[in-house]
Amino acid sequence: MSVHPVPSEFEARTNAAFDAIIWAFARPGLMQKLPEAGMSQIVEALIDRECSVHCQDPDLAEMVRRTGAVMVSPDDADHIFVTDVPLTLLDQVRCGSDLHPDDGATLVVDADLSAGARLRLTGPGIAGDVIVTVGGLPGDFWPRRARAMRYPMGFEVLLVDGQRLLGVPRSTTVEVL
Amino acid sequence: MTLHALTKPWEPMSYGFLDASAKREIRRKMIKAIAVPGCQMPYASHEVPMARGWGTGGLQVSLTLVNPSMRVKVIDQGADDSVNAASIRRFIARVAGTPTTMDTLDADLIQSRHRIPEEVLREDQVLVLQVPNPEPLRPVQPNMSIARQMHADADYGRMWLQLYEQIVRSGRVMQGASYPSLVHGRHVMTPSPIPRWDVPKLHMAKHLTILSAGREKRIFAVPPFTRVEPLVFSDVPYKVEDHADLTCHRSGTRGFFMNEIPQDDGTSVFEVSDSAWGVKAIRRRDGEEVALGETWYKNGKMPS
Repeated sequence: MSVHPVPSEFEARTNAAFDAIIWAFARPGLMQKLPEAGMSQIVEALIDRECSVHCQDPDLAEMVRRTGAVMVSPDDADHIFVTDVPLTLLDQVRCGSDLHPDDGATLVVDADLSAGARLRLTGPGIAGDVIVTVGGLPGDFWPRRARAMRYPMGFEVLLVDGQRLLGVPRSTTVEVL
Repeated sequence: MTLHALTKPWEPMSYGFLDASAKREIRRKMIKAIAVPGCQMPYASHEVPMARGWGTGGLQVSLTLVNPSMRVKVIDQGADDSVNAASIRRFIARVAGTPTTMDTLDADLIQSRHRIPEEVLREDQVLVLQVPNPEPLRPVQPNMSIARQMHADADYGRMWLQLYEQIVRSGRVMQGASYPSLVHGRHVMTPSPIPRWDVPKLHMAKHLTILSAGREKRIFAVPPFTRVEPLVFSDVPYKVEDHADLTCHRSGTRGFFMNEIPQDDGTSVFEVSDSAWGVKAIRRRDGEEVALGETWYKNGKMPS
């Protein structure tokens, strides 16, 4: 008879959070559900001392600091957590290079996923196209995102609304309707 | 800040063998791999109690994804019961307490070496492929820094030249397994050494495929509904193996990828390569009630 390890509460929570994150990026446009509300789940699942992070919210920044990550300005960060998107942010986000597209950043943004602009998403992970509603972002967020990236360079956007999660990887084309 | 806040409770071992920081690193790379389909992302490739080259890449991805409610299936060259598959399956079950299965329909996570099951995978399933050599350009460019530059430039001319030379020399493309394929119209990847038979199964599939090379420390992915097109010339169509008319001598199932088993008299018989499919076909023939899933190939043909 063998005894197997039981996941700790932390392990179970981060595993469930990453499950939501990976499917958010694998199926852009399909709403995923975090185990609990808020960005702290994403910090727990992804961030440690190998990361450089920019974080607006002071409480979350304290949590990020405890993981050992370096706090940097947005243009140096590989993970960016923002509640209000400054207009210039999208021109600063790291996009990696053609040689190393993995150096592109992951941008985690607070958004309103029940009201706002209607977007049509197309690309890998989407069967045909999908229409989503995203609010709480500056008006020219999506055109700016498209201008800032040249595939395969780019960054990933993770929209968080409470427990709900919507991923927009760089491979997704966003059309504002 | 207290000492207590900086430490975590003692555990005899981490759940799923890998420690939390190893998992976070693989998670971050998996996100990037999914965001740029087919592009090889370097990752740390931590040690697992298995020699590199025996599926450590796939194992690390599986160990990162598993939780106790995830049912795991492991395939080695189509078979669930070969030594490599049985040991990896037992290892995952032991360190993560996951239920295991051999039935493709019951599995949540499928780790596989060199085959994709014959039954269509669903959109909630994850296929993890073990990759020995992740670099499709290696036969034409052994220097991996230059190969990376070629990927960056989408410079795949030599790849086409290699295929052309094979056709001129031999009359057909000689590439049997790991047929170079263009993903999302941008990156050429090797789909791990799956036979040509299996490559069309990746095109616009419903499931998520993660390919991981532990020895070479590269991870790449094919998200659901992504174009995967084998490199072919427009006047020389892509051909899968001629297995459509072969019948399995044990299960009688026909029109699937077969293993050839040489006989003493110089002839050979065939046995269906997807062992779980074969077992289910035999049990159904013997009158048992067995659920057979929809298959990618119908009557030996892939519907286009």
